[in-house]
Amino acid sequence: MKQWSDLDDFQSFIDTGGMVEPVDDMPDEYRNEVFRFIEFHANSELMGGLTERDWIPRAPGLRLKQIFLAKTQDEIGHAHLLYMVAADMGVKNRTEMLEDLYDGRSRFHNVFHYQAVTWADQIAIAYLVDAAALASQRSVFANCTYGPYKRVLKRIVAEEGFHMRHGEEMLLRLAEGTDIQRQMFQEALNRWWLPSVQLFGPDSPENDPLLRWKIKTERNEDLRHAYVQQYVPLLQGYGFEIPDPDLRQVDGQWLIGDIDWEPLKATMRNGGPDSRRRIETAANNWADTAWVRESLAAAVDRTQREAAA
Amino acid sequence: MTMRTYEVFLKKDGKDEFRHVGAVHAPDDEMALPLARESYARRAEGDLMWLVDRQHLLVADPDLLAPNADKPHRHNDGRRVAAKRKNERGQV
Repeated sequence: MKQWSDLDDFQSFIDTGGMVEPVDDMPDEYRNEVFRFIEFHANSELMGGLTERDWIPRAPGLRLKQIFLAKTQDEIGHAHLLYMVAADMGVKNRTEMLEDLYDGRSRFHNVFHYQAVTWADQIAIAYLVDAAALASQRSVFANCTYGPYKRVLKRIVAEEGFHMRHGEEMLLRLAEGTDIQRQMFQEALNRWWLPSVQLFGPDSPENDPLLRWKIKTERNEDLRHAYVQQYVPLLQGYGFEIPDPDLRQVDGQWLIGDIDWEPLKATMRNGGPDSRRRIETAANNWADTAWVRESLAAAVDRTQREAAA
Repeated sequence: MTMRTYEVFLKKDGKDEFRHVGAVHAPDDEMALPLARESYARRAEGDLMWLVDRQHLLVADPDLLAPNADKPHRHNDGRRVAAKRKNERGQV
């Protein structure tokens, strides 16, 4: 078990490439920040998985249904692993985290607060939103100082890579499709471009503890800028228009218009257009599956009774 | 329901050694198996799987391993030999 005399001592440990493990006597400030970050990630995977699930019956054709089935399973699996890592930090247990989510007391990614209207919306989510999420997860994985989180991220990042490739293939099919299909994707892009670039959050504050403790390694604005450089030409290459009148190129760099962050803040407080429905769906899902947990508990109790007898 | 923690190891048949891939929380052995399978082996990551209930792990005190950087004679960095060879190459 590692111990540190004070926050400065802890900081120099972090600065020299140290990794923190759950058994270590980490500073409370670090424990709480890292816990909140992982809980937010876990909630987002769970809410994302439920969104994917909504599209299984509506996905056109068996292959796409299978893909969405597999993706749903991956996302729920990621949530499962992340809740385990978060619970091990001893701040809240798994049930408390789920109850806070279903009662609207905790937060999840902005992109799961909006409505996905058509199949093209779901593709925009699968491609643009997943790409943004993957970029931010990769940057956390690169130097993450909390050992258990880094280890599960390895798996999560690998699986999100499969999702990305599915996403781009689905986009390609619409891009090569009929005028109606192209129109459908353009409309979806109009709805999802801003949420995607907003996923990285507003510019990182000076002295962001997550950067200081190397949970994040890149500033939000740098990740957002890199994302814009990659996806603007890519979407334009497919013949789509970026819905930003202020988009411009300066010295070979794509710059986007100023973002008004106020609506996002309200959205993140679970006040987005689809927040209430999504949280309600998740909560109902939890309530509807109570019988599974109850029968499992009963079966385990019986096994333990029999073993004791 | 008390959860137990199981450490999960995977191995490809005929290749490598069992490698630790992570852990699962499960109420008992019977549930731990499918949970580990679904959490860690959905894409042919292994053909063989071990689960170990963490309470059955024998954990060594770090002190047992501690004095292991103080015996340089157990290593050889090969520096002298490398320097001699480099020197010879330089002369040709």
